[in-house]
Amino acid sequence: MAAIKELSKSLVQPLLAVVIGLLTGALVIAAVGESILGTYQEMWKGAFGSFYFFTSTLARATPIMLIALGLSLAFRAGVFNLGAEGQMVLGAVSAALVAIYLPAPGMIKIVAGICTGMAVGGFWALLPGFMEARFRIPLLISTLLFNYIAVLFASYLVTEPFRDRSGSAALAQTVMLEKSAWLPKLFAGMSVHAGFLFAIVAALLLFWVLRFTPFGYEVKMLGQNSLFAQYGGINRTRVMLTGMFASGGLAGLAGTVEVMGAHYRFVDGALTVPGFAWTGLMAALLANSHPLGIIVTSILLAAFQTGAMGVERNTDVPLELASVIQAVLILFISAKFSYDWWKKRKAKGGETHGAL
Amino acid sequence: MTDRLEMRAMTKKYGDFTANDKVSFSLAAGEVHAIVGENGAGKTTLMRMLYGMEQPTSGEIVLNGKLVVFRGPEDAIRNGIGMVHQHFMLFGEFSVTENIVIGYEPKQAGFFKRNDANDKVRALSEQYRIPINPQAKVASCSIGEQQRVEILKVLYQGADIIVLDEPTAVLTPLEVRDLLQTIRNLAESGKSVILITHKLQEVMEVADRITVLRGGKVTGTVSRDETNADDLARLMVGRELQELSERIPLEPLPLLQVEKLTVRDKQTLLDQVSFTVHHGEIVGIAGVSGNGQSELLQAISGLRAAQEGTVRLGGKDVTNKSVAIIRDAGLAHIPEDRYLWGTAKLSSVEENALMGYQRKPAYNRRGVVLREKFRQVVKGWVEQFAIKTGSRQLQELAGNLSGGNLQKLIVARELGHETPFLIAAEPTRGVDIGAMEYIHQALIEKRNQGDGILLVSSELSEILALSDRILVMYKGRIAGELSRLEATEEKISVIMAGGSIHGSNQRAI
Repeated sequence: MAAIKELSKSLVQPLLAVVIGLLTGALVIAAVGESILGTYQEMWKGAFGSFYFFTSTLARATPIMLIALGLSLAFRAGVFNLGAEGQMVLGAVSAALVAIYLPAPGMIKIVAGICTGMAVGGFWALLPGFMEARFRIPLLISTLLFNYIAVLFASYLVTEPFRDRSGSAALAQTVMLEKSAWLPKLFAGMSVHAGFLFAIVAALLLFWVLRFTPFGYEVKMLGQNSLFAQYGGINRTRVMLTGMFASGGLAGLAGTVEVMGAHYRFVDGALTVPGFAWTGLMAALLANSHPLGIIVTSILLAAFQTGAMGVERNTDVPLELASVIQAVLILFISAKFSYDWWKKRKAKGGETHGAL
Repeated sequence: MTDRLEMRAMTKKYGDFTANDKVSFSLAAGEVHAIVGENGAGKTTLMRMLYGMEQPTSGEIVLNGKLVVFRGPEDAIRNGIGMVHQHFMLFGEFSVTENIVIGYEPKQAGFFKRNDANDKVRALSEQYRIPINPQAKVASCSIGEQQRVEILKVLYQGADIIVLDEPTAVLTPLEVRDLLQTIRNLAESGKSVILITHKLQEVMEVADRITVLRGGKVTGTVSRDETNADDLARLMVGRELQELSERIPLEPLPLLQVEKLTVRDKQTLLDQVSFTVHHGEIVGIAGVSGNGQSELLQAISGLRAAQEGTVRLGGKDVTNKSVAIIRDAGLAHIPEDRYLWGTAKLSSVEENALMGYQRKPAYNRRGVVLREKFRQVVKGWVEQFAIKTGSRQLQELAGNLSGGNLQKLIVARELGHETPFLIAAEPTRGVDIGAMEYIHQALIEKRNQGDGILLVSSELSEILALSDRILVMYKGRIAGELSRLEATEEKISVIMAGGSIHGSNQRAI
């Protein structure tokens, strides 16, 4: 009961942000000269209008959700992981290579691929975590810069040593996975795959960990007042490193399920161009890092994107409408951040002592 | 003496809650009138109404024989009422003079006449014997000097009635002495002073009359000559104060052994400190804050690395070990700054209470924290310490608790660990008399059970009441040690200020 109340409370502000985003989008539509209602109808249809579109939206939401969950764990611990993109891509390329070159039956390939993808993503996040703990290199900067290394290295792997030279030479990509190593689709002919279930399970699991385990408690306390956590005997470095590993692991899983459930190969740019990592970041912020809220916000953000594709197909309003709405969302989220920060500062300055 | 100010039957209601209930108060010219009461007794509400920050629900204010209504602080200032707030409102980068004349600067053709301003400030400073350097930057002034700036600012604005809100809370004992002298000087030159405080010794020293508030009502207005600190305490609390339990003498087995502990950070903050706390002993550490007490506690509890020396707890070497290891070795810790170290303000009361218990086997099953079982424990603490948690009870955010209640929660949590050794830093800061009694009693009981306590407090009365042995810190060193029997406030103050007490009558400054 309390959990539901907490969840609904944490959803009020993001919903407000979404409404304002849609209102701003209406201005853009009006400027293009289209019917506002008609355009939003198209958007709705594009996202949820048929079972096919609905499942496409869920498919798109899958990596966003996994990344957002990973980031939310880091955020809760007060750690800013901006390296989800690199962790995802590196996890994806390793999973692809293992699934392609491991001489084993399909089932084993799937399991090995997933484990490798998560482990590689996790270790790629652990490295900046270690650098912070050991040399005080700010995570915000190191994780961000690590993205370039990871993305470009993965790009090199598939342009040179592991390039698929059998088919059209234009794309930098690996060869295809064997069919037996594909993650099953949830419905025949629809794009949503088993990765979506992984994401839902991950959300529930994360919710449980954060709410009921000692580790979840320690993460929360560390995020709220690291000095209090330290004073109480919580090992900041250990919690931070665990959080980074899990965070990177989930990002790695996001890339892995895209490879094994959607593309069946690693295609250079296929994970970075749609901006999964950044949409995931937004989904986490929009849900205030609440794991169950993230299920909602990542489907919502995915719906804006698939919906905007529908809009572009059927009206003169360009695809960028989704970007406008998302930009407004970002503005509102960051405004909330600075507001919280300002409030915190004010609270610190105006501590009440003595008499009432 | 004629009454300069009279407040008649002042009542202030916030919804159903009555903060002030028909409070009457008068103030004569040249009088020092103290208002005492526990937290939440309504002292601040009364002053906010006088200063125009709150409008009374009913009641009237008569100033120099005329009925007045203040719409805001500007009205109050214009009518000669000045308030020195507990938290100073000064610009650190500006000079003393600039801070004093702000808003009422001497000007000519729109230009600030700095020399005139300096002269005026100097004249005020001499007239009321409040020493200050007009050209000093406020940020470089001590807390005591900053307070004098605030008082001069109020005088500069023409106040005849000066309200001082908990003025001694932030001062060192020597600064307190200076302030009390300043208050007497002000009264002698015809100003009236309202002193809001809960420190009864100071009241007895400086006030002419005392009004006691309890639960929003006046429980007595007495003149200083007819009362004493015990009577006032009784009026404040509404019952007899309890005597602390007897101290049971115990065999002094060493518990905490600190040897040549040194902490450096560019400069030496803690210099070769050695001492022992025994089982069944409370060792008090006195000293002006900033003389190494914080560093000492942090080094013992694992929050700060020591460069030299050793700390042994229960025979185990815990020097520079992690907090978790030291706590396992038998440490509980009431931190000196409850907001910085002691709580997560945005978490619930329950979650704040859980700190340190989350991995204890008693509250864990198959990797899950047994929140329901733990909740019963916290409920017990809330009852035992009479912690007022607000409408959401254990789910109330810790940041919404008053300082005193939050302190009680922290004390309950740390005592609940039932460790052989306890660091108690400022254990009763900001709590009311009832709670203070309770906490003191709990500490004595812990001592009598054979546990050792290291007590750090800026209240000498607290150190004297609780300690078996007193160490005085000065500039990162232990400058003196006194037994319970030989310790007096006088002797401690002298060592605190860097003097020595070799030869009992010698006094150093």
